[in-house]
Amino acid sequence: MTLANDNPANQQAAAAARLKRRHLVSWAFEKACLTLTLSAVVVLGILLWQVFSDGIHWLDLQFLQSFPSRFVEKAGVKSALYGTLWLVSLTALISLPIGVLGAIYLEEYAPTSRLTRIIEINIANLAGVPSIVYGILGLAIFVRFMGLERSVLAGAMTMSLLILPVIVISAKEAIRAVPSSIRLAAFAVGATQWQVVRAHVLPEALPGILTGVILALSRAIGETAPLIMIGALTYVAFIPEGPMDEFTALPIQIFNWTSRPQAEFHELAAAGIIVLLAVLLTMNAVAVYIRYRGTRR
Amino acid sequence: MNQVNSTILETRDVYIKYAGEAAVKGVTLPIYEKKITAIIGPSGCGKSTLLRSLNRMNDFIDMVTQEGEILYRGTDLYAPEVDPVEARLRIGMVFQRPNPFPKSIYRNVAWGPTINGLEGDMNLRVERALKQAALWEEVKDRLDDSALNLSGGQQQRLCIARALAMEPEVILMDEPCSALDPVSTARIEDLLFELKENYTIVIVTHNMQQASRVSDYTAFMESGILIEYGDTEQVFTRPAQKRTEEYVTGRFG
Repeated sequence: MTLANDNPANQQAAAAARLKRRHLVSWAFEKACLTLTLSAVVVLGILLWQVFSDGIHWLDLQFLQSFPSRFVEKAGVKSALYGTLWLVSLTALISLPIGVLGAIYLEEYAPTSRLTRIIEINIANLAGVPSIVYGILGLAIFVRFMGLERSVLAGAMTMSLLILPVIVISAKEAIRAVPSSIRLAAFAVGATQWQVVRAHVLPEALPGILTGVILALSRAIGETAPLIMIGALTYVAFIPEGPMDEFTALPIQIFNWTSRPQAEFHELAAAGIIVLLAVLLTMNAVAVYIRYRGTRR
Repeated sequence: MNQVNSTILETRDVYIKYAGEAAVKGVTLPIYEKKITAIIGPSGCGKSTLLRSLNRMNDFIDMVTQEGEILYRGTDLYAPEVDPVEARLRIGMVFQRPNPFPKSIYRNVAWGPTINGLEGDMNLRVERALKQAALWEEVKDRLDDSALNLSGGQQQRLCIARALAMEPEVILMDEPCSALDPVSTARIEDLLFELKENYTIVIVTHNMQQASRVSDYTAFMESGILIEYGDTEQVFTRPAQKRTEEYVTGRFG
């Protein structure tokens, strides 16, 4: 072996072989990534196809404008759709200011102390707490202690608890991604902390913050467990007219339909899922639009 | 050398520590009005730290403690009643890397005066600052373009214009040419000569030719200690300290 390595021609051959192997590894990695990505897309595609083939023929104006019913032909998602829209709007109103201002405080104002670190670690831990736990908390504090009953406000406050950690963490990341050189430049021309945040940090971080908020709200839209816990009803034959009204939401309605024995109701559930997806897509579209406008400035 | 110069800034026995470790050790240094003072020395000698203390930019770095006095026109810059925001209005700064705001050229220059409510015609102020920074001719037709589309040298001149628009008394420059090519560097050096008519400039540089070309006074620091301070010509031709001589002649550092 040592003898062979002394030969320049052999050395060259060995180097060429090594290079070939490195290219092979590089190629294999790319293909592995591609395969796994495709498999995820395929599974999603199958899921969507199944939902659409089951539910699309139930999807019409009647379905959107009817309250739930024990007759398949008369049943609809009106109360669930309005309930979800109420829930998401209120949740956004509550969690957005708290989450974003909390993130701004932690990133821009809080001293780097042990206490700050403990708070940050705990926020990260809270993001991993099962949603049912937030449901129990909401039941004990909002529904019972604060006497909000089974209102959409109690639901929104519970959902806000659930998604606040996600909003804070993603907003913190977005704020941290703003280069500190921009902050220093602003301070150097005599800006106050508020002026730096308002004119430079927030506009730069806004796209990232919005992405996090939308992801968090998307999670809230799909959550069922905490709503069942705080007693959101499955049969609601009216739409909420204020934050103190009782409500139901799309995932609860879907869950209810899937747990019935009749096959038609399962198809109805699929139609409900399509409506839920449509709401989600609309929210994402709004976020993309705001981000687009934000970056054009 | 102390003929008719008036001292605008002065450090007195200043110690600056990061988490207890001293980066600047007992520096006493006068800064003369409408002169260019260069601070030279090897990397990590504490020259940038000292510079940042002159307009309280060290306030933004955690765990920095400071002892000694820094006097600005006779008052202690670190006295409790001094508002650091106001101090930075009088003492502007240009950083090592060009750091324009990701906004239009106009907004970059106008933002500081706007938030501070400075009086007068803003368009005129922007134009004057850009002319002083020798950038006006290149950008006058595209003031609404993003500052990020400018070249590195143009961006740094924009940052100088941004500082000038505040009409400060002192401009601190932290290795302003280290990220620039020789042509841009030469332009900025020419600019410094014009600026010292009206402004006091303190420039940190590790480029000794630059220090000897542009400055009136030179301070040489090493390991946080001010080794030598004096007239630039004297420091470069007849240094009093052996270490200074070794450094400026390129025998180390």
